[in-house]
Amino acid sequence: MIPQDIADAIVDPKAYADQARIDDAFAWIREHAPLEQAQPQGFDPFWVVSKHADILEVEKQNDLFHNGDRPTTLMPIEMEKKVRATMGGSPHLVRALVQMDNPDHMNYRRLTQGWFLPQNLRSREPRIREIAKSFVDKMAACGERCDFARDISFLYPLHVIMEVMGVPESDEPRMLKLTQELFGSADPDLNRNARAVTDLDEGLKAIQEVVGDFVAYFNAVTEDRRASPRDDLASVIANGKINGAPLGFFEAMSYYIIAATAGHDTTSNTTAGGMWALAENPDQFAKLKADPSLIPGFLEESIRWVTPVKHFMRSATADAEVRGQKIAKGDWLMLSYPSGNRDADVFDRPFDFEITRSPNKHVAFGYGAHVCLGQHLGRLEMRALWEELLPRLQAVELDGEPRLMQSNFVCGPKSVPIRYKMH
Amino acid sequence: MSDAEPFLVWQCRTCGYIYEEARGDPMEGLASGTRWRDVPDTWICPSCGTAKAEFDMVEI
Repeated sequence: MIPQDIADAIVDPKAYADQARIDDAFAWIREHAPLEQAQPQGFDPFWVVSKHADILEVEKQNDLFHNGDRPTTLMPIEMEKKVRATMGGSPHLVRALVQMDNPDHMNYRRLTQGWFLPQNLRSREPRIREIAKSFVDKMAACGERCDFARDISFLYPLHVIMEVMGVPESDEPRMLKLTQELFGSADPDLNRNARAVTDLDEGLKAIQEVVGDFVAYFNAVTEDRRASPRDDLASVIANGKINGAPLGFFEAMSYYIIAATAGHDTTSNTTAGGMWALAENPDQFAKLKADPSLIPGFLEESIRWVTPVKHFMRSATADAEVRGQKIAKGDWLMLSYPSGNRDADVFDRPFDFEITRSPNKHVAFGYGAHVCLGQHLGRLEMRALWEELLPRLQAVELDGEPRLMQSNFVCGPKSVPIRYKMH
Repeated sequence: MSDAEPFLVWQCRTCGYIYEEARGDPMEGLASGTRWRDVPDTWICPSCGTAKAEFDMVEI
């Protein structure tokens, strides 16, 4: 069993806002208990899958390790009971791709998969580049200082995905707020009640209200797109069919919600983290400036470095064995992507930011059937932004202390103050 | 088949990873020009682990 203080740290949203604390916890686990059980206070026990190879091993066996049978993200026992009581026995507040197993997962994924393939995104690149350029212009207009997270990186991927979905620009601030209230539900700077969460009922109620607001918004979108389909993702979801029938209401709402949240927040986190890393590593910035062909490598290293999705949970559908450990049917497992991406068995000097790292087979997008659907869009957005920004960015340094969001699920920097020179 | 046979492109059904015969994938030990038929049947998608049999030939 993993020691109590470390077990408590890996579920604590505050620990993820303290990079050294969370890195130390997972470094200890990788070295001393690479696949062991943890039982943080208030939680059912679960296996912590900390090694890169074991994450791949679990993720590729989708029939043996299910997403949907138990909570797909970390959830205290009492909260799970309350969720099940209000959701007809289900441990999920939404039922999107990440909560599904086959055959539903494959059927629902196929609905939008084509949209996100590289060859189909190519036609969108000119527009995405235009949006990227407008944000670079905005940064130049800020003068020599900005909060890169708040002023640029939160807003640019948001604008792209909302345009892809067909959400009007005037609603983007609302979508950003709801996203931050959902993923930042444990962060007093971002959550709905704007205070530290000390009461489980209050915290759960706030999350349910956010989901309710998303549902109200996208229910109206569904009606609109059924009446007048357009060339947008919302129309695909609204008019999509699974086995000849329209999507279930709950599943359709969940589909919109995951696209409208994970569809930009992960890219925002990675972009902000990439800028933070360049500002802290002038040698890497100089290398990138000198050779822009290194941008793809810089992007992959930014993705590994930030790893915005901190975990997903799985549960065993039968007795299994991984790394010599006997995992019993029904056991819960935590896949720790940041830990896998700092695994020294795979990455040389894993705590160094190195844009020429090769190979760089990080697990930030997951692996197996649930691998990130939007990965090609995310890469395209980031490539467009950095290709536009880099030639104009002459110098950059930190202009204060960056801050990380408090969350154990999807998070990254919430503030990256920088001072820079642009032309 | 002659060497003049055009190079083809294959794509993973799960994640969209693209294997171009002309480029190969040197990081995966597949030299440029390696035909799809010469990629071992045991090879899996480097991005998501999908089996070779689950790739489709595509036009890019």
